[in-house]
Amino acid sequence: GVFAHLETLEAQAHEAAMEEEETEQQEEKMARLKARVRELRLRRDKLQAKVDLRQKGLGKEGGMLDPAEPSARAVLEWKIRSLKAMLQVFYLTGISGKLTRRGVCFCLSTAYEGIYLDSYYLDLLTKPEVRIHRHSVPIFIPLEHIAKQYLQTDIRRFLAVLSDHLNAYTGRRYQAEQLQEHFSDQIEGTLQSNSLCNLLVFKYNVSSKSNTFPFSVRLLYSDLCCSLPTEVTVSC
Amino acid sequence: MDNSICQVYEDEIQSLEEEIKLLAEKYEDTQQESTFFSDEELLMSIKSFQREFQGDPKRHESPSDLKTQLESLERDLSFLMKFTGIQFTSHSKKTVEKTGNRTLQKHRLSGNCHSLSFQLEFQLLEVQNKENVSAVITGLSIIMESGEDSDVSKFVSRTEEHGNLLTFFRSLSTYAEWCEHRRCTFLHFK
Repeated sequence: GVFAHLETLEAQAHEAAMEEEETEQQEEKMARLKARVRELRLRRDKLQAKVDLRQKGLGKEGGMLDPAEPSARAVLEWKIRSLKAMLQVFYLTGISGKLTRRGVCFCLSTAYEGIYLDSYYLDLLTKPEVRIHRHSVPIFIPLEHIAKQYLQTDIRRFLAVLSDHLNAYTGRRYQAEQLQEHFSDQIEGTLQSNSLCNLLVFKYNVSSKSNTFPFSVRLLYSDLCCSLPTEVTVSC
Repeated sequence: MDNSICQVYEDEIQSLEEEIKLLAEKYEDTQQESTFFSDEELLMSIKSFQREFQGDPKRHESPSDLKTQLESLERDLSFLMKFTGIQFTSHSKKTVEKTGNRTLQKHRLSGNCHSLSFQLEFQLLEVQNKENVSAVITGLSIIMESGEDSDVSKFVSRTEEHGNLLTFFRSLSTYAEWCEHRRCTFLHFK
């Protein structure tokens, strides 16, 4: 009777208290999120104003500084960033690198018509004589042969010849990939090529009116420093 | 009902945070690209930075770290210029567009390779992929001092057409070296 009634009332009060706590928590959470949104909006607007001001101030090259004197640290960091940017430009020229404790680590980059492809590393030791310590040149590139010819006598020539081989290889590979990608509806199956990508074999179809003519093509690139074929065989 | 409102706020918070990150990067880029400090200003900064540090050892990146980094970069750059024969006399870059993982920058470069001087302008588009960054050159424009030479001008226009910046430098390097050899040989006969 009374006891059970009291129990029910207690349970109800408990539940009501829980619900009230939950609503309070939800309201707190909402208030927190609202405040955060306000804070971030303010920060974003301030930054946007700074950026816009800078953009307007940019008419002439160099010399536009913040009204406050830049700190010595800021000047150093600016110079470091400029030097890094300059080193990145060397990457675009095809030969870049950095000095190491025991020699130089060169980075040979490759490109085909403005599109940069893979780059390869060559870690050289310089004492007692120039030799290759480590490299990431693929095994089918005649690195040892080129090194034997030029590494000791003319290191610039060595890098130039190696760069020619690497650029030609990645150029051929890129062209083969593009051919496969852009003409997949005309090519039957997939392009067959060797690792060096200097031998390409594929079948393609030429359609006219109601007939389709199958052709077989064999491309041979016997000049390893060239990304154009030296021999083309088309058969029907 | 409440949950969906919370979600709206949370979404807005995330997008604002991303926007702030992009704006901060943009601000840093424009700061970098629009300032210039001379070598004397640089030297003074190095000295004053070292003095500052002496009074506050709690700084996490000591001036010797920055100075070492600066010197190592200068050594690498000086080596590359001497080794390849390519000396860059000026370089400026401006971020034209930066969205998500794409960055488009306009570069102005001038320098010389042995006795041949050049001036270049190009746009570099870099896209951040999962594994690497892809780079593409567009709008390449080359001005060479010895541009009257018909061979050189043919080479230059072909290179510009295909955006072959890398080929330009490789060929320039070889051509300049041969010019040097020729010049030395002729001197021999004087």
